[in-house]
Amino acid sequence: MALPREARRPFSTSVAPLRRRTLADREDWLGRLMLAPALVYVVALVGVPFALALALAFSSARSGSLEFSWVGLRNFWTILPDPQFHRALWNTLRFTLVSQALVIVLAVTAAHVLSAAFVGRRLVRFLLLLPWAAPVALAAIGWTWIFDSTFSVINWTMLWLGLTKRWLYWFGEPQLATAAIIIVHVWRMFPFATVITLAGMSAIPQEISEAAVIDGAGFWRRFFQVNLPLLLPIITVAVLFGVVFTSTDLSVVYLLTRGGPYNSTHVLSSLAFQRGIFGGDLGQGAAVALFLLPVLVVVAILMLRTARRAEVGA
Amino acid sequence: MSDEESTKWVRVSTDRLRRVTRRDLLKLTAAGAAGATLAGVERLTGPYIVHAQPRELRIMTWSHFVPAFDAWFDPFARAWGTSKNIRVTVDHVSFADIVPRATAEVAAQQGHDCYFFIAPPSQFEPQVLDLADINQEAERRYGPLVPFVRNSVYNPHTRKYFGFSDNWVPDPGDYLKSVWANVGYVNGPRTWDDLITAGQRIKQRHPEIQIPIGIGFSQDIDSNMATRAIMWSFGSSVQDRNSNVVLNSEETVKAVEYGVRLFREVMSPAVLSWNAASNNLALNARQTSYILNSISAYRSAQAQGLPVANDIFFTPALRGPARAQVATHVMGVWVIWRFSRAPDLAKEFLLHFLDNQRDAIMASRLYNFPSYWGSVADRDVPVAQKPEAGRRWIRSRVFQDPFGSLPPDKLKVLADSERWSTNVGFPGTANPAEGEIFDTYVITDMFAKAATGQLSPKAAVEEADRRVKEIFAKWRRAGLVGGGRDR
Repeated sequence: MALPREARRPFSTSVAPLRRRTLADREDWLGRLMLAPALVYVVALVGVPFALALALAFSSARSGSLEFSWVGLRNFWTILPDPQFHRALWNTLRFTLVSQALVIVLAVTAAHVLSAAFVGRRLVRFLLLLPWAAPVALAAIGWTWIFDSTFSVINWTMLWLGLTKRWLYWFGEPQLATAAIIIVHVWRMFPFATVITLAGMSAIPQEISEAAVIDGAGFWRRFFQVNLPLLLPIITVAVLFGVVFTSTDLSVVYLLTRGGPYNSTHVLSSLAFQRGIFGGDLGQGAAVALFLLPVLVVVAILMLRTARRAEVGA
Repeated sequence: MSDEESTKWVRVSTDRLRRVTRRDLLKLTAAGAAGATLAGVERLTGPYIVHAQPRELRIMTWSHFVPAFDAWFDPFARAWGTSKNIRVTVDHVSFADIVPRATAEVAAQQGHDCYFFIAPPSQFEPQVLDLADINQEAERRYGPLVPFVRNSVYNPHTRKYFGFSDNWVPDPGDYLKSVWANVGYVNGPRTWDDLITAGQRIKQRHPEIQIPIGIGFSQDIDSNMATRAIMWSFGSSVQDRNSNVVLNSEETVKAVEYGVRLFREVMSPAVLSWNAASNNLALNARQTSYILNSISAYRSAQAQGLPVANDIFFTPALRGPARAQVATHVMGVWVIWRFSRAPDLAKEFLLHFLDNQRDAIMASRLYNFPSYWGSVADRDVPVAQKPEAGRRWIRSRVFQDPFGSLPPDKLKVLADSERWSTNVGFPGTANPAEGEIFDTYVITDMFAKAATGQLSPKAAVEEADRRVKEIFAKWRRAGLVGGGRDR
């Protein structure tokens, strides 16, 4: 039986030609390819230096040499009984914890103030963000002058206002130097935490607050029993970032006190820098720096879990 | 067509005006990259004219404390390059970043051809060339190297010249004459005890001065120099002539006890946070009456037209129970890295630089002093007489300061500064262990802990001694430090 004319027309004339499947069609490989630059970046700039630091910590590497002899745990046995190391470890913890506690209080307060409508709010928000935008090295130099033991403007002001009767040697006394370092950390991290908290506040549905008001809740009750619980996940993210930035920071201590007076304000990163770079003992410097690792691993896990929880909650 | 085949073959649209898909984007990107690569290959393989590679010398030096020096040095180096058809690059680094930057260059095995340090860089010895040849050539031209400079560039344990020095910087005491005259010391202090005796009077009569005596016990270079000066003057030292550790001694305890008195009676906790600029600023602001420094504080005051400049005068090293001795304020040491691309050019330049030391020293406003006295002698003087002629030339300049001092002989104490200056590591040579002790502030810590009562002087010395011995042991294991018969 003869087919109708349309049916005898070759199939290929009405259908696009077939071609071999390319990489663009293979989602599994394409995904890996697209991810590769980021992975290479992380491996090259984080993984390799980390592996190198691990290797250095178990070696007798020196800054002026390329020799790399394995010394096992010797660097760790050297620093473990070292009082300077104990002090640096303790300082790292207390600078981080105290500054972050202050950051939370200040950030939540500032976020509440800035969420209210008032004239000049934009300007205040802009000014508040400046410390975050300022290069930390530049800011630390400014603070060095503010706290200078001979010319401190804070001292002059406090004396003039009658708030103190004695000259305060901010970097000459360990307690004051500690306070100065914490103040600078708080100043630096507080804008970031404020912005994050502000973002969290704007995400709270207005009706929840209104319902609380209708139910007769006052400001403090609304704050502690409504707003704060809702803000907790986002504040946790801010705190965890703050913990990472503060505990790993070298520049504030290095530029303000250089670890002084008498090596009493070192943190692990500044002590590692002093021992490894200035002292020329890369192995010992790496061993000191590695003590941050367990703390940061825990913080990183917490960060990831919190972020995931916040994501799921959203 | 089977299902398996359908995963390999797909239909594509024949519509030529379709939207760009992800696949198209990838195709375009790949095509672009391939095209660019081919174009690059074309450039590499295609016919082109071969030019001789320009010769280049890369110099790293510090940002000099007297900025006028840099304004002279950079064009000087470039002019030498132009005369040799060489491109010369001069980079500057802050004094605090000299060592970190050098560490980075060694780790990367690239960077500059010659590198300048302001303290003996003995820890870098394995990575630098032996410069015996240019040190010997310089001695052939200008006579012997100043002995304490040799101790800063030569390691007797490995018998290697790891550096080449063109200059060192004296570290006299700087005092405010009006203040000291007011308490009966017209010519300033002469002994360490004078600092306490006069300091107490200054404290009483000049309450406007916050820190009567400004000797740093801090984590900075000036404090490192000052505390060593106290130790040496009291007959103590970190090591002996043969690199044996001798820190834990009666003399060191006495030196630290003196430091405690100095701190408690005539200083303030401000000196525990002294940085490299603190003593200059405090003196120029009349907030202290005596500092141990180079002439840079005075030159800054002059340059800024501060009235205090006329009141700043100088004293030689203060005498203690054993001697009068201070460290050089700066020990200028050049090294040439093993990975230098132009070591011969670097050597040639350094000798040329040495040939022009008069200009260099004048450019530094007499801050720099020559490591080879003969390098500032008149050119026609025979080599044997050059060192003395050089000393005479320096003497003539410091007795008649060409940079406007009043009186003109204000800098005259510097004429004898070779006699009371020495190297870090005295009475031995500079070495990596001394360098690490210097850079991790073991000695300043020892003084500060005793001064603030954290530890007794004896306990502070014992603690420092333990740390010093650990550091020496480590560098001995590396084969860079001799000795081993520690006290």
